[in-house]
Amino acid sequence: MKRRTFLQTIGAGGVAGIAGCVGGDGGSADDTTTAASTAGGEETTAGTTTGTAESGTPELVVSTYGAFVDAPSTSPGPWLKEAFESEFDATITYATPDSEINYYIERALQGAEIDADAYVGLNVDMLIRIDERLEDGLFTAVDDVSGQGDVKEGLNFDPQGRIIPYDTSYVSIVYNETMADDGDFVAPETFDGLLDPEYEGDLLTQNPTGSSTGKSFLLHTIDAKGRDGYLDYWEQLQANDVRVLADWATSYNSFLEEERPMVVSYSTDQVFANQEGQDLAKHQIRFLNDQGYAYPEGMSIFEGADEPELARQFLEFMLRPDVQGEIAQRNVAFPATTGAELPEEFAEFAQAPPEAVTFTYDELRDNVSEWTQAWERQFASK
Amino acid sequence: MSGPRRGNDSSPASDGESGRGRSGRDDDSGRGGSVGDGDSSAEDGVGAVTSSQPADGPPPKPRSARIRSIAATVGRRLEARALAFGAVVTGLVLLVVFYYPVATVFVDAFFADGRPTVEPIVSVLSSRFYLVDIFGFTAYQALLSTVASVFLGLPGAWILSRFEFPGRKTLRSLTILPFVMPSIMVAIGFVAAFGRNGTLNAVLTGVGLPPVDLLFTLEAIVIAHAFYNAPLVARVTTAAWESVDASAIETARSLGASPTKAFRDVVLPQLLPAIAVGATLTFVFTFASFPIVLALGGFQLATVEVFIYSRIQNLAYAEAAALAVIETVISLGLTYLYLRYEGRKRGSGQGARPQPRKSLWPESRAAKSVGTRIAIVGYALVVLAVFVGPIASMVLTSLTGPQGGLTLDHYLFLLERQQTGASYQVRPLPAITNSLRFGLGTLLVAIPMGVVMAVLTTREFRGRAAIDALAMAPFAVSGIVVGLGLLRGLVFGVDVFGFQLQVTGAVAVVAAHAVGAYPFVTRNVAPLLGNLDPRLVESARSLGASRVRALVDIELPLVAAGVVAGAAFAFAISIGEFDSTVVLAEGSTSYTMPVAVERYLGRRLGPATAMGCVLLAVTSLSFVIIDRFGGRYGESGGF
Repeated sequence: MKRRTFLQTIGAGGVAGIAGCVGGDGGSADDTTTAASTAGGEETTAGTTTGTAESGTPELVVSTYGAFVDAPSTSPGPWLKEAFESEFDATITYATPDSEINYYIERALQGAEIDADAYVGLNVDMLIRIDERLEDGLFTAVDDVSGQGDVKEGLNFDPQGRIIPYDTSYVSIVYNETMADDGDFVAPETFDGLLDPEYEGDLLTQNPTGSSTGKSFLLHTIDAKGRDGYLDYWEQLQANDVRVLADWATSYNSFLEEERPMVVSYSTDQVFANQEGQDLAKHQIRFLNDQGYAYPEGMSIFEGADEPELARQFLEFMLRPDVQGEIAQRNVAFPATTGAELPEEFAEFAQAPPEAVTFTYDELRDNVSEWTQAWERQFASK
Repeated sequence: MSGPRRGNDSSPASDGESGRGRSGRDDDSGRGGSVGDGDSSAEDGVGAVTSSQPADGPPPKPRSARIRSIAATVGRRLEARALAFGAVVTGLVLLVVFYYPVATVFVDAFFADGRPTVEPIVSVLSSRFYLVDIFGFTAYQALLSTVASVFLGLPGAWILSRFEFPGRKTLRSLTILPFVMPSIMVAIGFVAAFGRNGTLNAVLTGVGLPPVDLLFTLEAIVIAHAFYNAPLVARVTTAAWESVDASAIETARSLGASPTKAFRDVVLPQLLPAIAVGATLTFVFTFASFPIVLALGGFQLATVEVFIYSRIQNLAYAEAAALAVIETVISLGLTYLYLRYEGRKRGSGQGARPQPRKSLWPESRAAKSVGTRIAIVGYALVVLAVFVGPIASMVLTSLTGPQGGLTLDHYLFLLERQQTGASYQVRPLPAITNSLRFGLGTLLVAIPMGVVMAVLTTREFRGRAAIDALAMAPFAVSGIVVGLGLLRGLVFGVDVFGFQLQVTGAVAVVAAHAVGAYPFVTRNVAPLLGNLDPRLVESARSLGASRVRALVDIELPLVAAGVVAGAAFAFAISIGEFDSTVVLAEGSTSYTMPVAVERYLGRRLGPATAMGCVLLAVTSLSFVIIDRFGGRYGESGGF
């Protein structure tokens, strides 16, 4: 083991030489050597340069998506780090790979070491990808985390109990009331209503393979119209000039520019609109068929984590009622647990659907690729 | 005009033997076969020779003379091999940061569980959906985009190369801007400019015309592609036009040719290769277009790159690889055809004296002169709509608050993030300095790589066009595939004889940018190099100059315009690159401005557009400054 570590170190140094490393600033700090992991020992993470881990203070590497720690509006990451570090003898280091969980799946596939302890921001699609590609998975079972029992029914999406939800969103229609000739646009109440000629060219949604809102909306139509009926439904939707854009950001921007009066987005939309002091008439929520598609986000501990105990404490911390309230407000989503502490005005602007819809892990694992690809082929053939 | 061009193959001065036979030893000594080493040894070689030059001076002392003579010998040896060495280094860099990484992805198209298979490729090729609906449409929109880019770019080249007006050079410098714009910024700018409530419709209704609904159509995609690529066509054509020798035209005219005939017979043949390279590159780029298509068109206008992205996202690697391989083959095939054409077009001579420019203000009231100016005004209006409109709209977005009023809040956000941002957050200043550092680093690596490749491929040998096309592959391979390959090949590391080879961070970013940029240098330099009279080099070599010395002293100054033009593209490519940077900068502080733009995307586009404007400002400033200082070379070629 020692010899291997040595060779790896030399190897990385050698590459820096071969690549003509000019000056050490780029090379030494950023080049990663995979160090042998020993409990409590210092570990080089994927080049993360936080480097605040002082010797003696254990370092917990939490991997997540960029917006969780670095969104221009609000993100829970900075608050969580500060709060956790003030209570526990630990330093949190965030890693935010651009390809998110695929980065770790790739690492596992290529036999590279996983250099994080916990992952925050998992969804059922990611879990299916992990289970399809990796025999041994990526995460450990997390059944001894206190507070796990408080998670709302229906949010747990991992039948094998590896992932604990920490918040959830509901995908719905957001519409702009002011965008009609008479200044009173009202979104339809049902999926069938979207096919009405009155709503021709009014809806924006997102690429189901590149965006979670787009995927949720597609799945919602499958739930509403049945697996044998959704393609026909989409054919009519396309005839009614629905636009499927790249991702949430581009479609929401077009909505804000009043290009179209309806966009598929989150039912927490008014929380932002209220914070920005905007006209709420331009941010109305519609739950089609009185339903919202649930999009829970989960967290887990990597198999072979250096700090499994600390990671477990972090998960428990994330489920505490006060922390659940903070995450919900800072991530602008609903808490995953029943007892979260939230100010009253949160409920005023964050709307929950009368009925939450979602597919189970098993249904999705067996069908989701087929469903999306059939949709792609139909929608993209001109 | 075009003399027989045989010199190169029969020339005894050809550097074929320069260390080729001993390349094994070259490899040993070049074990740290690094770019840096390659450069420094080449420079050492040149430097050593220079120091041995003053033979006319007073007789040197014996000791120093001996050292000098040794230095000179070493220098000469290094120099003799410098070109071969440069080629080896170029090949190594390509191998490490391009060919190997891409191979780790492409392999899935040909092997399943370690056994060779044709299934993925066959299944794509036998699918009507992929072949007709997706590849067919992808090629169709690329063709339309190419035509639009050429039509929009050529008048620009004509004005920039044939007219004189205040701010001409600055304007020429700024034509690089679309190149560095992140696609999300272009999408935002286009919605704000061409949307239902956009600037264009405000103008149209203002003058009593009906509004147009441009968004989410094929037209919008084509215009956005022209926004990116017409400046490319304009730049390369301008460089060629400025190289047209005025005396050739005068000769034709004095022999009785009409201005039209002189243009057709003298000028046009010299412009065509430039137009062809612009069109080819435009086609290749728009063939692999991805975010723009989905942002301005929608999924019913999906291109093949959309599916490559989607398959990689879902880890369906075999299908992704098969699609990417076919996409690459088509792009490379087209590039190959162009290169064969370029090879045939060589030898038309290099302009010694450019044509005089006309004043933009009409000299006379003649109908033709005035008509020309009216056409120019019409073109300026189109430019205003297509280029200035979206960029100005983006600037406006960065200055607009949530209520619609003007605000500096988004720039204050950047300042605040700079001052209080945590180490795991992306801050603006490091993004700016990194972008500039990487841009300069890219120049240092890409220019030698590009020039070496240009020298090698202007020689005549069998399979030249094929080698040349392979060298152009960084343009033709999907950025998404390259990104995944870099992750597998460099970030995770490769086991080579028990050594874990791993490159990330700044060095890897510069190498990846250089690989994506050097073909621009090659494409700008190679045609000019091919135009040079081979006797120039032969004379120099018969007078004792090494091949490299002839290149540095004779050829490069003559093709400086091409080098500078290529360098401008290389710098811009580095500034704008996203796919590889985001992979290689992962977890380090090596993020760049486009990465920051992406990070600042949120519900409100203010912060991201503010960062986008910073990106534009920094780029504009760099180019204008370089233009001022590089005026000597900038005069012909244009940075």
